Amino acid sequence: MAAVGASLTFGAVKIPLHEVIDVIFGGNSSGPSAKIIELLRLPRTVEAIVVGAALGVAGALLQGSLGNPLASPDVIGVTSGAGFGAMLIILLYPDSIQLLAVSALFFGLLAAGLVFLVSFTGRTGGGISRVILAGIAIASLFSAATAAMMAAYPDRVPSGIFFLVGGLTSTGWNNLEQIWPYFAFGAVLTCFLIRPLDRLTLGDDVAASLGSRPRMIRLAAALAAAVLASAAAAIAGLLAFLGLVVPHVVRMIGGTNRHTFVIPVSALGGATLLVAADTLARTVRAPIEMPVGPFLVLLGVPLFLWLLRKAV
Amino acid sequence: MAAPLIEARGVEVTIGGAAILKGADLTLNAGELLAVVGPNGAGKSTFARAICGLRKRSAGTVSWSGRELSSLKGRDLARLRAFVPQRAEVPNGVSVHDAVSIGRSSHLKPFQSFSAEDRDVIAESLARARMTGFEDRQLNTLSGGEMQRVQIAIGLAQGAPVLIADEPTAQLDLGATAAVSKLLRDLVDDGLGVILIVHDLALAAAIADRVLVISDGRSTATGTPERVLTRETISKVWQVEAELIQHQGRSALHVEWLDRN
Repeated sequence: MAAVGASLTFGAVKIPLHEVIDVIFGGNSSGPSAKIIELLRLPRTVEAIVVGAALGVAGALLQGSLGNPLASPDVIGVTSGAGFGAMLIILLYPDSIQLLAVSALFFGLLAAGLVFLVSFTGRTGGGISRVILAGIAIASLFSAATAAMMAAYPDRVPSGIFFLVGGLTSTGWNNLEQIWPYFAFGAVLTCFLIRPLDRLTLGDDVAASLGSRPRMIRLAAALAAAVLASAAAAIAGLLAFLGLVVPHVVRMIGGTNRHTFVIPVSALGGATLLVAADTLARTVRAPIEMPVGPFLVLLGVPLFLWLLRKAV
Repeated sequence: MAAPLIEARGVEVTIGGAAILKGADLTLNAGELLAVVGPNGAGKSTFARAICGLRKRSAGTVSWSGRELSSLKGRDLARLRAFVPQRAEVPNGVSVHDAVSIGRSSHLKPFQSFSAEDRDVIAESLARARMTGFEDRQLNTLSGGEMQRVQIAIGLAQGAPVLIADEPTAQLDLGATAAVSKLLRDLVDDGLGVILIVHDLALAAAIADRVLVISDGRSTATGTPERVLTRETISKVWQVEAELIQHQGRSALHVEWLDRN
């Protein structure tokens, strides 16, 4: 709540908190402050909440389903795919910049789809190492293609930096209006996966003994994570760090690996961290807006390292 | 007469083109402990997995209380049998109570919470597995024997009439082996049907009602330990000269290790 309050209050123009409350709950929609809040800050804060929550959940889903603490949306190729999709528009079709979000979403999902095709098909499909190795290979493919495009159009690369390091923009509700069904799909699928993922924590054999299908759980969790992370990348660029770190922080603070705790709290933690980092990114050099990615790392890494040291 | 809890006939399993199980039979009744023994690679674990529905069969029939295995869906099957794996996962951040609660979750529909009855079953499962007092301990702080008892408690929380344990004593010391064995025997005496995959023939003879010998993918002998684990069978199946000695509830395998006689 504090992060949301700060996000709505601070920016190029500081608006007192009571005015913010008056605009949102009192229905005061006249005056420049109301316009700033309704058209710029509120959509951006909601975007930060949704994107942060989506990445936190995506990381928790992947770490839980793959049983690998290093798992994040990078592992299933989403980050590289979305990066390629965005840079394709920025570098090759800059006149169609309105397609950036859709292209990032499409290629993020395409990369994940290729990973699933390779890793989940066949008699021995669905093994953890096969998913991770396929993810690394497909991610390398898209990263190489992105690097090739950047080498071919070096003069246009600066336009893509904001996306590559991750950043939210004040474009109103447009992005969310386009992308929200993907967030909704990922969120609903996640709700059904919480209990099966707890069973998977005890190993594939126990999960199967309890009537679950480990391979299906893994595929569904990876699908939900791919959709959430692709949708997040479409709006805020590449912020995979958040998906890696937040579930770890949540587990360390909560002292439990139960997904009934880790998934909802990762959503909350991811949202809080991104809202706070975005507020910093908008205010540190106001009125110039910085990409949020480095600020996310600035806030997240010390906390993560402190907890890591405490845990060991 | 009630149908057997499990009846498996002519079960075959092929993995990667190799025939691992070539025709194995098994019958288990309520209140019976069946020890499945055999040399390494004979197909014991594969057979256990096949009758549990964890491994696809290429031939044969398996019925659970008269119902064909292939007609049973995940949750129905989870209420008929619990499988205790050979090597249990020991995740961080999961307490003993959490783990046993997860075992009970097979009785819940999506988003359904535990009822008072479910909570009672969880507490009772912990008590039967002699893990009361360990509820808040993290799994990664338990000894091998304690971990196996948790695995059994998870299986008990499923509320299934059959427990299938795949070499639960393989990595345990003598004391922990005795504790887990006594626990399994007590559960059987309370009416549970147990299939125990085991290498230790002396242990099998001590606690099993019947023994099933699997050799080269086939069930080759079944019956009481005294009838099946004879010098001739041991010599034929394990290629070792050995004799099982049983006396007043104690059992020992006398082995001619170095063939000096």
